[in-house]
Amino acid sequence: MSELILERAQAPLRRQRRLHLPPLGASLALVFLAGLLLAALAPQLFTHIDPLAIVPREAFQPPSWAHWLGTDQSGRDIFARVIHGARQSLLIGVAATALSMAIAISLGLLGGLGGAKLDRGVGWLLEVLFAFPSLVLALLFVAVFGSGIGPLIVATGLGGAPGYARMVRGQVLAVRNAGYIEAARALGHPTSRIIARQLLPNAMRPLIVTLTMGVGQAIVWASALSFLGLGARPPAPEWGTMLSMGRDFIANAWWLTFFPGLFIVLTTLATTVTGRYIQQRLEGRLP
Amino acid sequence: MNHPILPLIPLCAALALVGCERAEQRTVHSDQPVHGGTLVYATDREPTCLDPHVAGDMPQVFVAQQYLDSLVSMDSDGRIGPWLATRWEVSADGLRYTFHLRRDVRFTDGTPFNAEAVKANLDHMADPKTQSSTAGGYIRQYRGTDVIDDYTAVVRLATPYAAFLEVLAQGFLGIQSPTALKRSRDQNCESPVGSGPFKVARWDRQNQVELVRNPDYNWAPPTAKHQGPAYLERIVWKFIQEPSVRFASLQAGEVDVIETLPPESHEAARRNPDVELIVAQRPGNPTNGTFNMRRAPFDDIRVREAFVRSADVEGALKSVYFGEFPRAAGPLSVATPFYSGDFEDSQNYQPARAAKLLDEAGWTGRDADGYRTKDGKRLSATVLIGARTPPSELTLWEQVQATTRQVGLELVLDQMSDAQVTARQAAWDYDIRTGYWNTNTPDVLRIIFSSAFVQPAGVGGYHQNSSGYADPGFDALLESALATQDPEQRRALYHRAQQQAAAQYLQLNTYPQSTRLGIYKTAHGVRLEPSLAVTYLYDAWVSK
Amino acid sequence: MSSATSLAVTDPRRERLAALGRRAVIRLAGGVLVLWAVASLTFFALRLMPGDPVLAILGGPSANPSPETIEATRKEYGLDQPLAVQYVFYLGRLLQGDLGVSYSQHQPVTQVLAEQGGATLELTVAALLLAWLLVLLLTVVTAGRGRLVGGLASMAETLSAALPHFWLGVVLLAVFAFGLRWFPPAGSDSLASLVLPAFSLAIPLAGFIAQVTRESLELTLDQPFILTARSRGLSDLAVRFRHALRHALLPGVSLSGWAIGALISGAVVCEVIFSRKGVGRQLYQAVQVQDLPLVIGISLVVAAGYVLANILVDLLYQWIDPRQQEAKP
Repeated sequence: MSELILERAQAPLRRQRRLHLPPLGASLALVFLAGLLLAALAPQLFTHIDPLAIVPREAFQPPSWAHWLGTDQSGRDIFARVIHGARQSLLIGVAATALSMAIAISLGLLGGLGGAKLDRGVGWLLEVLFAFPSLVLALLFVAVFGSGIGPLIVATGLGGAPGYARMVRGQVLAVRNAGYIEAARALGHPTSRIIARQLLPNAMRPLIVTLTMGVGQAIVWASALSFLGLGARPPAPEWGTMLSMGRDFIANAWWLTFFPGLFIVLTTLATTVTGRYIQQRLEGRLP
Repeated sequence: MNHPILPLIPLCAALALVGCERAEQRTVHSDQPVHGGTLVYATDREPTCLDPHVAGDMPQVFVAQQYLDSLVSMDSDGRIGPWLATRWEVSADGLRYTFHLRRDVRFTDGTPFNAEAVKANLDHMADPKTQSSTAGGYIRQYRGTDVIDDYTAVVRLATPYAAFLEVLAQGFLGIQSPTALKRSRDQNCESPVGSGPFKVARWDRQNQVELVRNPDYNWAPPTAKHQGPAYLERIVWKFIQEPSVRFASLQAGEVDVIETLPPESHEAARRNPDVELIVAQRPGNPTNGTFNMRRAPFDDIRVREAFVRSADVEGALKSVYFGEFPRAAGPLSVATPFYSGDFEDSQNYQPARAAKLLDEAGWTGRDADGYRTKDGKRLSATVLIGARTPPSELTLWEQVQATTRQVGLELVLDQMSDAQVTARQAAWDYDIRTGYWNTNTPDVLRIIFSSAFVQPAGVGGYHQNSSGYADPGFDALLESALATQDPEQRRALYHRAQQQAAAQYLQLNTYPQSTRLGIYKTAHGVRLEPSLAVTYLYDAWVSK
Repeated sequence: MSSATSLAVTDPRRERLAALGRRAVIRLAGGVLVLWAVASLTFFALRLMPGDPVLAILGGPSANPSPETIEATRKEYGLDQPLAVQYVFYLGRLLQGDLGVSYSQHQPVTQVLAEQGGATLELTVAALLLAWLLVLLLTVVTAGRGRLVGGLASMAETLSAALPHFWLGVVLLAVFAFGLRWFPPAGSDSLASLVLPAFSLAIPLAGFIAQVTRESLELTLDQPFILTARSRGLSDLAVRFRHALRHALLPGVSLSGWAIGALISGAVVCEVIFSRKGVGRQLYQAVQVQDLPLVIGISLVVAAGYVLANILVDLLYQWIDPRQQEAKP
C-alpha cells in the first residue's frame, strides 16, 4: 500500500519542473483538511441534526434546503452523518497510521541498527507480511478478532506497516553513519538518547510527506473494510459503512451512496495534494 | 501536431460495440405454450447442497422443486391430493399410513419408483448421518417403513401425527432415487437424482445450476396445469446476490424471472410494462423477534406485551419496505391452513398501554438517559443480529429501537458473526432472537412453542423453541390436534392454540414471509406451487 | 609468458541470463519460505477464531447433528488431536498438494480454486493491462507538453488515483449498467461483463502508475540522447515510445508488482459488487462461515501468486534496465 508513496517521496530532484498544480490547488486542499479536522473536533459547528435520529416519515428525501445531502432509508440526515463520519474516518486514519508507524519504527530500528542477522530476519518478516495482499490480511484479522472500530484500526495499521517499515529501515541505514551521530557518540551520549534526539528525527523527516498521504490511504482502506461489513457496523456514520448501506437503493436514491464516496475522494485528494505541496516546500522548490 | 485524443476514439468505439452486442429481446405474444427454449431464473442465495434432505433451507427447496416429486400434493385450499402415491389409508390409531403408489414412475437414472424407494427416502431423512434439519425434524415420529409389495408401503409412526401428509407434500421431503441415495452425501449434494420434470445437469458453483428437461415425465400432480414432459428444454438457475443488480438484470431482459424481488423495486416493476409481478405469502410462522422468557425482563408477560405495544412496526414497514409488506401480527401467517384472523390486532401500536403495563410491572424509576429502572436495574433487552442479516432487517430493528425508547425501554442491537449468534442462542444468552419458519402446517406452533423443542436437538445446542415456553396445557392442545384427522376439530384446536400463543405475547411479529417473483415478458406460465409458495416451472414456457 | 589464466571474453548476453537465473533461484527459495510462513500464520489465525469448526462443517446454525455425528466428524477432520499434531499433519498434506475439503462447499479446495480462480485471474490481468493502456495513451502522449495539457492530464491522474475502487464500481454500475444499459450488471461469462469491473480497478491503478511514469518520463525526455534522436528526424511519438519509454518504465514496472496485490484486494470488492465468480468473493464468504481449509487454500494461492508476480516483476526490471545489470558487482 505504501510502496507507491515510497516512489513519490524518494524521487530525487533533478531540475526545476513546471508545477503540475498551482498553489491554488494546495490552498483548497489545506482548507478542506482544516474543515475536516474542525468537523471531527466540533461537528456541532456544521450541523445540529443528530446523525442517528430516525425519522421514518422523511426517508429517501433527495437533497433539498432542509436536508442538504438528502436523507437515508431511516430518514437520517446524510450531511449530519457525513460530518460526524469525519470524526470516525479521521480517527481511524490517524490511529491506523500511528500504529503503522509504531510498528514500522520498531522494526526499522531493529533492522537498521541490530546487525546483519537481525536485519535479514526483519527483512524476511516484512516479506511475509508483504506476501499477503492487505485485504487478505485484514480479512483474517477481522475473522479472528471480530469486526468493529478497534479491529479495523489494527487491521489497517498492520496492512500499512510493512511499507513504512521498509522506508524507515532504509532511512535508518542511511542516517546512522552520519556525521552528527558520530559526534554525539564521541561525546559519550547514551545510545537511547542518540536514537531519540538525533537518529529518529532525522530519519523520519523525509517521511512526513509519506505520512500525510498515508492518512488518506488509511481512510480509504478502512472504508473498504467497512464497505465489506468488516469494520464499523451500521448505523455508524462511517463513510464506507454508509456507502455499503446505500448500495441497495442506488436506483431509487443515488445520494445515499454518492456523497459519502465523494467525501472519501475529496479527503484522499486533499491529503495527496497537501503531501505533494509539503514535499515541494521541503525540497525548496517553492518560494 | 499529434492529437492525444485520436487513439482514444477506436477504444471508445470498441467498448460501445461490445456493450451493444447484447441482443435485443423480441416480443412474441403467444397463448400456446412453446416447446423448447431456455428460461433464466435468478435467485439471491445459493444452496449449500442440492439434496433438500440435507440441512434444508429455502434456497434448497426452491431449486429441488423442479427435479423432485413428492408422495402427495397439496392444493391452495390445503387439501391433500395424490401425486406419487395414488391413495392412502390411515389406521384408526393414527400410527400407520398405508400408501398405494403409482406404477409408471421412473427416476432419471432408470431406477423404478416403488415401495423400496419410499423406504429408502424416509430412512435417509431420519438417518443422523444425513444431518437433515428440516425434513428429519418434521418426521421425528417416524419409526420405519414396511414394504408390503412393490407398490404398497406402510409407514409406522410412534405417535399420531395428523400433519404427516402435510409435511409429505413439501419439497423438503421430495423423493430421490434410492440408487443415488446410496452414494456419499457430498456426491448426492452435487447431483441428486429425482423423478421430476427436470434433472440436474451441472452445478457451476457461485454462478448457476443447469437443469434439463426429463423427457419421460408423465406423472404431474393434479395441481399442475398440464401433463407430460415439461415445455422448457433447459433452466439456468443463477445466483445474483445483490438485489439492485438482480432487478437490473430483469429489467434489461438478461434474466427471465427473478426471485426475492427487492421491496424498493416493486414500484419500478409495477410501472414497467415488460415486467409482471407474482407476490404470495408463505404459510408458517411470520418473521418475528421471539422473546426469551427464561430470564428478565421478558419473564414477565406484562413487559413482553409492553414491548410489543411500544414498537411501531407499521411505521417501520412503511419506510423500510416501502409499504410492500403487510403487518403480520398473529403467530401464523395468512396462507397457513387453519389460520385465524382473530389475533391480528393483538400487537397494535399502543404506547400508552405499554407505559401503563410497565408501571404495573414495577418499572417506575428513570435513569439519566430516560430509560426505566427497577431496583436500580435498567430496563434493557438485547436482540441478536447476525452478520448476514440484510440491511433492511437491521433498519427495521433500529426503528423498533427508536420507538421502544420512547416508553423508556432500551433495545440493544448486538451485532456479531452468525457463529456467535448460534452460540448465544444455544446458551440462552439473549432477550430477543429473530427468526421465521416457512411450513405448510399449523403444527409449526408445536415446533416453536412446545416444551419438547426447548431441549437442544443436537449437541450444537440449537433449540427450535427460542422462547422457552413450556406449558403442559399448550403441549397437550397441540398433541390432540395431531391426534385427529377431522378438519373441523383441527380448526377448533388450532384456533385455541393461536389464541393462547397470541395472548402470551411470545413474539413480536413483523411481516409475513413471502415469495416475490418478477417475470419478464419472455416468460409465461410461471407459477407458485400451492403448498409452500415455491416457484414451479413445470408449466412454464418462454417466447424468445 | 604462460597464459594459464587467460582473460575469458564471455558473451555479455549470456552472463546477463545467468545472473538473472541465479537471482530467480534465490528469489524462488525465499518465496517458498514466505509461503510456509503464510501457511502457518493462516492456520494458527483461523484456529483462534471463536466458534466450533465442527458445527461449521455440519451445516451451521440450523443443523441438529447427533452426538455420534459430531464425534465422527471430529475424527474425520482430525479436530480431536492436539494443535501441534494437527499442524504437522496439515503441513504434510500441503506438501503433497492436498489442500483439504472445503467445509462450506463440500468440495476439495483445489477444485474450488480451479473453478473460481480463472475468473479472478481474468479480472486482475484485464485490469492491469487496461491500466497500462490508459497510462500509455494518456501519460506517455501528454508528458512534458506544456503547462495546460500537462497540468490537466496530471490533475486527471491525481483524481483517478484518489477514487476508491468500491465507490467507482458502484457508480459505474449505476450509470452504465442500470442507467444506460450498455453493459450487463452481473455475470462472469462474457467479455461485456468484464468491462465495468476491469475499469473500476484499472482507473485508480492507472492514476498511480501514471503519476510515477510521468515524472520519470519527463526526466528522461530531458536527457541528451533524446535530443540526439529528435535531431535524427524521428517523430515525437516515435521518440517517446521507442526511446524514452524503456528508460521511464522502470518505476511503473516496479509499481506493478505492488499493484497485483492491490488488484487482488480490489477484486474481492469488485466481485461482490458485480456478482462475479472468483476467489476474492469466495475468500470473503469463507471467512464469514469459518471455512478453514478454503481460507487457507485461497490465502496460500494468492500469496503464491503474489510472490511469483513480484519475482517476475523483479526479473523484468532487471531485464529492462541495462544500467542495473552493469552496475552489479
